Amino acid sequence: MIRILHTADWQIGRQFGRFSPDDAAALAEARFAVVARIAEVAATESVDAVLVAGDVFDAQTLADRTLYRTFQAMEGFSGPWILLPGNHDAALAESVWTRAERLAAVPDNVRILDRPAVCVYADVGFAVLPAPLTQRQTPVDLTEWFDTAETPTGLVRIGLAHGSIAERLPEAADAPNPIAADRAVRARLDYLALGDWHGTQAIDDRTWYSGTPEPDRFKDNGAGQVLLVELEGPGVPPRVTAHAVGRHAWIQRHWSLAVASDLDLLLRELAAWPPMSVIDLSVAGQLDLAGHQRLEQALAAAAGRHRSLQCATTDLRLQPTEADIAALRADGYLGEVVAELQSRQERDVARDTARDALAILAGLLLDPGRQERQP
Amino acid sequence: MRLERLRIRQLQQFRDTLAVEGLTPGINLFVGPNESGKSTLVRAIRVAFFERHKSTSLGDLQPWGDSSAAPEVELDFVCQGRHWRLHKRFLNRKRCDLQVDGEHFHGEEAEERLAELLGYHFPGRGASKAEHWGIPGLLWVEQGSVQEIRGPVDHAGEHLQAALGRSLGELASSGGDEVLERVARDRAALLTSTGRPTGEYAAAIRDCEEHQRRLAALVAQIDRYRQQVDRLAVLIRERSETDDFRPWEAYRTRQEHARARLDELRALETEQRREGEALEVCQRNQASQRQRLQDFEDRARQLADREAERQGASERLRQCALRQPRLDRRLEEARADYERANALRVAAGQQARRAQWQREYDQVAEQAMDIAADLQVARALQAALQEQELRHQAEVIDNRDLDALRSYERQLGELQIREQVLATRLHFKLSPGRHLTLDGEPLTGEGERLLVAAAELQLPGLGTLQLEPGGGADVAELARGRRRLEADRAELLQRVGVPDLDAAQARADQAALRSTQLVENRTRLRTLAPQGVDALAERLRLLEQRREQLAGQLAQVPEAVVPVPDESRAEEEYRAAEARLRKVEEDKATHRRDLELARQAQNAATDEWRRLDAELQSPQHRQRQQDARDQLTDLRAEEERLRMAIAQRQRHLDEASPDLLAQDIERWGSSAAALEQAAQQRKTEIAQLQGALNTLGAEGLEEAHDSLAGELADLERRRDQLARRAKALDLLLGLLQERRQALTRQLQAPLQRHLRHYLELLFPGADLRVDERLMPEVLVRGHTGDEQRALLDALSFGTREQLGLISRLAYADLLREAGRPTLILLDDALVHCDRQRLEQIKRLLYDAGLRHQILLFTCHPENWRDLGALPRDLLGLHNASEPAPA
Repeated sequence: MIRILHTADWQIGRQFGRFSPDDAAALAEARFAVVARIAEVAATESVDAVLVAGDVFDAQTLADRTLYRTFQAMEGFSGPWILLPGNHDAALAESVWTRAERLAAVPDNVRILDRPAVCVYADVGFAVLPAPLTQRQTPVDLTEWFDTAETPTGLVRIGLAHGSIAERLPEAADAPNPIAADRAVRARLDYLALGDWHGTQAIDDRTWYSGTPEPDRFKDNGAGQVLLVELEGPGVPPRVTAHAVGRHAWIQRHWSLAVASDLDLLLRELAAWPPMSVIDLSVAGQLDLAGHQRLEQALAAAAGRHRSLQCATTDLRLQPTEADIAALRADGYLGEVVAELQSRQERDVARDTARDALAILAGLLLDPGRQERQP
Repeated sequence: MRLERLRIRQLQQFRDTLAVEGLTPGINLFVGPNESGKSTLVRAIRVAFFERHKSTSLGDLQPWGDSSAAPEVELDFVCQGRHWRLHKRFLNRKRCDLQVDGEHFHGEEAEERLAELLGYHFPGRGASKAEHWGIPGLLWVEQGSVQEIRGPVDHAGEHLQAALGRSLGELASSGGDEVLERVARDRAALLTSTGRPTGEYAAAIRDCEEHQRRLAALVAQIDRYRQQVDRLAVLIRERSETDDFRPWEAYRTRQEHARARLDELRALETEQRREGEALEVCQRNQASQRQRLQDFEDRARQLADREAERQGASERLRQCALRQPRLDRRLEEARADYERANALRVAAGQQARRAQWQREYDQVAEQAMDIAADLQVARALQAALQEQELRHQAEVIDNRDLDALRSYERQLGELQIREQVLATRLHFKLSPGRHLTLDGEPLTGEGERLLVAAAELQLPGLGTLQLEPGGGADVAELARGRRRLEADRAELLQRVGVPDLDAAQARADQAALRSTQLVENRTRLRTLAPQGVDALAERLRLLEQRREQLAGQLAQVPEAVVPVPDESRAEEEYRAAEARLRKVEEDKATHRRDLELARQAQNAATDEWRRLDAELQSPQHRQRQQDARDQLTDLRAEEERLRMAIAQRQRHLDEASPDLLAQDIERWGSSAAALEQAAQQRKTEIAQLQGALNTLGAEGLEEAHDSLAGELADLERRRDQLARRAKALDLLLGLLQERRQALTRQLQAPLQRHLRHYLELLFPGADLRVDERLMPEVLVRGHTGDEQRALLDALSFGTREQLGLISRLAYADLLREAGRPTLILLDDALVHCDRQRLEQIKRLLYDAGLRHQILLFTCHPENWRDLGALPRDLLGLHNASEPAPA
């Protein structure tokens, strides 16, 4: 039985600009950490090899230190690492790989398959058919040669490729780097390890996307895993098991507040999310001033618990209650301004400005200093 | 509030008591010249209210120099339906009493009561100043300060606001202003007054832009990096596809082969060139021999030419000689003509001179004849003149003598008449034949005599009658006078040489006639002989002399027998003949020269011919001609041989085309070099690119880019947050200000209403805007959309004065509505008003007087006569004031 670990899309060197610098740095750092965990899993599971199906690196020009750290993170597993250049780290004339070679950063147990040629691991019992990208993108199916490639008899045939399965996803219709959906069948592959899609996905029983081991966007489902693939022998369908290795859950939620209890539900869910998540929240609807304050407090607390918390309240209206307004003691023309701002929130244009203005005004009116001065 | 009565005592110029009684509601007009005490009256009222009775700083109240005086003011007034009496004394025996409907207040209590009632303050210490005066400070206008409105309104502010209910106060005290201020401050931290980003916000925008720039630069760099990577891939492929096979070497080999073949052809070409040159030499030699032969023929042809020339020259000589006799004949004729013409010319000249002389002779003769006749006449005239002059001298009588004679005659006549009158008239008529003798004079016939003296009448025959005329002495006197006159006349007549006056007259006439004749004759003589008769004679002599001379000359030159042409024509013919002669002589000379030349030419031509003939006949010449012919034949054979050899070789060369071969060599060489160089360049570029990419790659461009993009995103988030906050603050501030303004306007409405009431009269259609402290600020005139705004300070002094008054009246109305006391004092206000405005102001004051008591002080009573108020003369008041009680 052959046991391999299938992973892809490490995207090392990716920066997370939409977050605060601290969060961004932590998220970039997490990508090294997950490699170390993969090595750990590989070692624990005593796999025969680790196959990385492209996009190890997020870009071609990365700092030397980044390259060193990547290979150092792999030290936890001393078995063979089989790396495939993807679209982000294509094997160009000058590439991240040539640089890594020049820097002598690549350990001996790491092999980079930068040519489309059969690579035989006879001692373990399999042969790898790689389809490395030598351009950033190509309209041709680079796995086509698998069909006619001969491998020594008795060895398990494992395909290794990076791209989009053609005609599988609507948005991937004209995507570059296409891969035929039936490649595994046509090329008599026992397993086709794919990279490029960041969520774990099975195309058929022998064709899998492992997804990225550490999530890096909100939209992917099943990211943050590696696949343990067990192969009995040629012609036998593989057994594939997913292992969670990701550190940060990426959660994107939209809440619409209509009635007072909606806020309670929101706060409850907020509290239930796993710690150190990366959260993108948008809240719409309306809130009274007290509710607004509760929300603010809850968000502040959650921000401490999670890696990153972003909350968009553009469509949220402040709807002060009679009591709120009474509490503001906004008499005279201040009262008129409060009413005006409230009514402006109902309009289409610049309603968020009106809400901000109202919040600022409420803040000023509720300022304890002011309250004290009032008789 | 209404003042009813005012009494002052020992106050400034009012050392005694001055009482102003019976003040009416409405307008009270006080008139009086300067220094009449108007200001003192006003001062008294102000002091009574504003100053503490205990004040020590009121020394000026005392009459001049009287430091013991105790200035006193007593006021009766009605306010809020109650009667008040205030009595105040300063400096000495100070006191203050206030009575109201039986209530009494004293000292400071009374003063505080008044201050509260009227709305003003007392100073903590010292004299009361404008800032303490409150409402009276606004309504009691001091001389020349009606245009000052800001200070008084400011000082009255709190009282005015109190009068407007508490609303205005709320505006300021509800905390709204504090919030507004904070919002404004927060906004100012992000936006300038014009809404441009500033401070942190501007910095965030700048940072974003800076990052965007840096990011763009990085993108460009990454782009370049990628292009270089692509280029490297291309180069490496080309190297492995082309350069590894060393294609330039094949070209080099082909080049070598071609070069060997070309060398052979080059040798052939050299031979060809050499033979070509030989052919040219051969052809040149042929031409040279042909030229020699040609020369020989030319010499033979030349001999014939020379012969012809020789004969031509002889013929020309002969022809020339033939012309000689004719020329000689022409010369002879020309000479004869010339001589003839010359003789004629001379003769013509003589005849012309002779004719001239003849004409002169005739003239002279004629002249001499005329002059001789004149001379004869002149001589006769001269003789006659001499005789006439003699006669004239004899005849001439002096006119004076003539006049004297006439005078004697007249006087004698007159005496005679007088004598006749006085004389005794003797009339006689004698019988014929009888006679008498009177004094010896016989009397016959009939007649009459006058007897002036005693006369003796002889009567023949009878005796003598002695007649003695009467009249005595007179007649005798007359007779004596007559005799004297007659004696004088006789003497004169004698001297003149005439018997009587008539004769004298006749002689005078005769002399005048002769004088005329004399003049005539003299004129005639002068005409005939202007220079005198002798000169005329001399002239005649000279003429005779000339005539004789001319006669001599004429005799010498005989008159021509044959006709002679006139002189000019003869001259002309002579000249023509002369010209002809000269022409013929020239022809002759020319001919001589031609003849000589022809002779020389003939000799030369003969010599030439002889020489050439001798040369051509020589044996050497014949030999040379033959040699040339032989050489030409040899050269022709040589040329034919060379031509054939060259043509054959050329065919060979054309087939091999060495030029193309040379091009091939060059082409293959270049190709080889180019390929090799390209390979070398590729090698170099690959090395360079690899080096460059290595360096660039180490910079971690994309990582840096992503990192920078991250920073940018963060900055943009911050910027957007600030933008959002700025927008919110901007909106909030705008709303707060807008609402506050609306509220302010609402609160100001009552004041505006009163203001408009007065403005309508003075500035129809205008609006006076007040600020939130109820301070008049801007005057707006004209219609909406075409408004003219003017700040109060920018208006003319007069207008400011009027607006000051209007504002005060409006405040007064406002205060009245609020149930506050109003009393208006105007001290010499509105002196800068024009007539028309003043009229309106009077209407306006009258209108205000219906609601308020107004005390108006003026030194221009004529301006206010039609104010509808009885003027009080201060001087009158002064006099009426009663002496102070002791």
